[in-house]
Amino acid sequence: MVGVKVLWFHLMPYPQLPEDFRERYRSVWVDLDAGLLDPEVVASSYETYLDQLVFAEACGFDGLCVNEHHSNGYGLMPSPNLMASIVANRTSRAAVVVLGNSVALYDPPTRVAEEMSMLDLLSRGRLVSGFPVGTAMDTAYAYGANPGTLRAKYYEGIDLVLQAWTRPEPFAFNGRFTKQRWVNIWPRPMQQPHPPVWIPGGGSVETWDLCAERDFVYAALSYYGHLVGKEAMDGFWEAVERAGKDPNPYRAGFLQFVGVADTDAEAYRLYKEPAEYFFQRSLHFYPGFVDPPGYSSEASVRRKLQSSVRAAAMTTQASGGPTWDEMLERGYVIIGSPDTVREKLEDVARTLNVGHLMTLLHFGNMSDELARQNTELFGTKVLPGLKDIWSEHTDHWWPTNAR
Amino acid sequence: MPAEPGQTLIYLPGLAGDPGSSPALAALEADGWTVARPQLPGFDGESGFRCPDDYLGWLTALWDAVDATGVGPCPVVGASVGGMLAADLAVFRPEAVSRLVLLAPFGIFDADHPGIDPYAVPTAKRLEPLFERGVPEVFRTRFAHKGDTEAPVSRYLTDIAAASLIWPVGDRGLAHRIHRITCPRLVLWGAADQIVPVGTAAAWGEHQVIEGAGHLLEWDQPEAVAAAMRSFLGR
Repeated sequence: MVGVKVLWFHLMPYPQLPEDFRERYRSVWVDLDAGLLDPEVVASSYETYLDQLVFAEACGFDGLCVNEHHSNGYGLMPSPNLMASIVANRTSRAAVVVLGNSVALYDPPTRVAEEMSMLDLLSRGRLVSGFPVGTAMDTAYAYGANPGTLRAKYYEGIDLVLQAWTRPEPFAFNGRFTKQRWVNIWPRPMQQPHPPVWIPGGGSVETWDLCAERDFVYAALSYYGHLVGKEAMDGFWEAVERAGKDPNPYRAGFLQFVGVADTDAEAYRLYKEPAEYFFQRSLHFYPGFVDPPGYSSEASVRRKLQSSVRAAAMTTQASGGPTWDEMLERGYVIIGSPDTVREKLEDVARTLNVGHLMTLLHFGNMSDELARQNTELFGTKVLPGLKDIWSEHTDHWWPTNAR
Repeated sequence: MPAEPGQTLIYLPGLAGDPGSSPALAALEADGWTVARPQLPGFDGESGFRCPDDYLGWLTALWDAVDATGVGPCPVVGASVGGMLAADLAVFRPEAVSRLVLLAPFGIFDADHPGIDPYAVPTAKRLEPLFERGVPEVFRTRFAHKGDTEAPVSRYLTDIAAASLIWPVGDRGLAHRIHRITCPRLVLWGAADQIVPVGTAAAWGEHQVIEGAGHLLEWDQPEAVAAAMRSFLGR
């Protein structure tokens, strides 16, 4: 199918953090109290969330996204590959988008090459393979990775995975961090030369350059919507220009919270609670886990210091989280009738020059009923109206056998 | 006791870097000691720092930096993360170290006394738990001359260097090799150290506890630390 690709993204949050979570607990990440976990709630949530992903395919979404977080109360997928394997088995047309595996956390990263190959085969060539650096909380704190060498290890890990997928003969890999005498993975991916590589990013200069230079998709995964995200996307497109590449919108993906209802007023009423749950409870994390020395490069530190847009978002988050009206004014969440949402998303796609729209239609503690209503309304009344966007461009970063 | 003319010691700084001589070190300088400061990568806050791949890379950088000072064999004073490096210098390069002073060194992690994670503290407050008697102003103003943007960048770069040496728990296996230190050593520890609690000190053998001092004890209790070092170095 031509036109902008619309993807359904699941974070798989824990849906029963207490109302006074912000007051009683320090962080939703890293040192989150395991006493809050009810195994029955998690097990039921997994079943519901997987069903929602399968339902999204039936509603016409082009791709289904899962991602990796550790020690985290809003992301119950330490291993997104487990979830992706189920999604691959229960669907037949949508792209299976794993965003992704933090390759620097796996020793050797060959394991990532192997599991992605398995997923590509299980989905019969529908895999998008994402390689995030991983957040500071996931990598430096929850996994103890040295932030001073994390990024270099990450780049090396991607190189190893790509070689493992594509080199026909057994080879030796002698990296700075990984040394392996025999690399020769079985099985190999179905897609040739390899599945599309997307790089989830949060705005680092190095990630923009990596994507631009190596023709990877830059998938901006900010939770702060299109207005904050514009800064990151502008940085990416500048990197594309520096690299002398064409500004094909399919080089980029962008994540956006979305809530659709029959009317704007109804949407305002319906999505207030789950949005407040996410931005006021799920995003309550301790500032001491945000900035391990070395996680950001020198250039990115300098850029962040100069970014007033980012600073404003972080300040609001630290001071109790945004109000519902602030979320809407700042574009964190796009809500409304199908026409309203379609118009806003078209504006997002065109303003940011993005060919892959990743939508979060379940967020926070949203009920299954509302998530399905949101998904169905979007699929039937919003998605078709977006399909003219970018139909003049070719998506070179889409799985061979996905719709 | 005054130093002999021309006597030099090597100093390796702690977590917060080296903003200039601590009052304890200044007291030794007043006695006639010359303090040599090996230039370890990153600790100067200069642009372009690239983290060594691993701890052996750091030790190699240390040995190169020590040799570049052109001094030695001589006493080596190491604080905090610098104490860990000083101990390994004495382990692997015994000919370079005549006496060893360790001020609350990293290098051995005691699960019974884990302390706080110095990097699980909001960036703007990271200096505070290093001291028992308040953060000396010189640490806050070290890079101020570089301006509002570049000063925090330089601070960040020095943090990368120190953090990468001890990430994630500050254990580099010293417990398995400190028996190879053959030179005389003095181990001092702050009684109120929140970062490497004093309960860890026993793993380093004989030691002295300095009351009223936190992790960077040479800043918290300079008179007591200087007195102990004078006594030890003057033997």
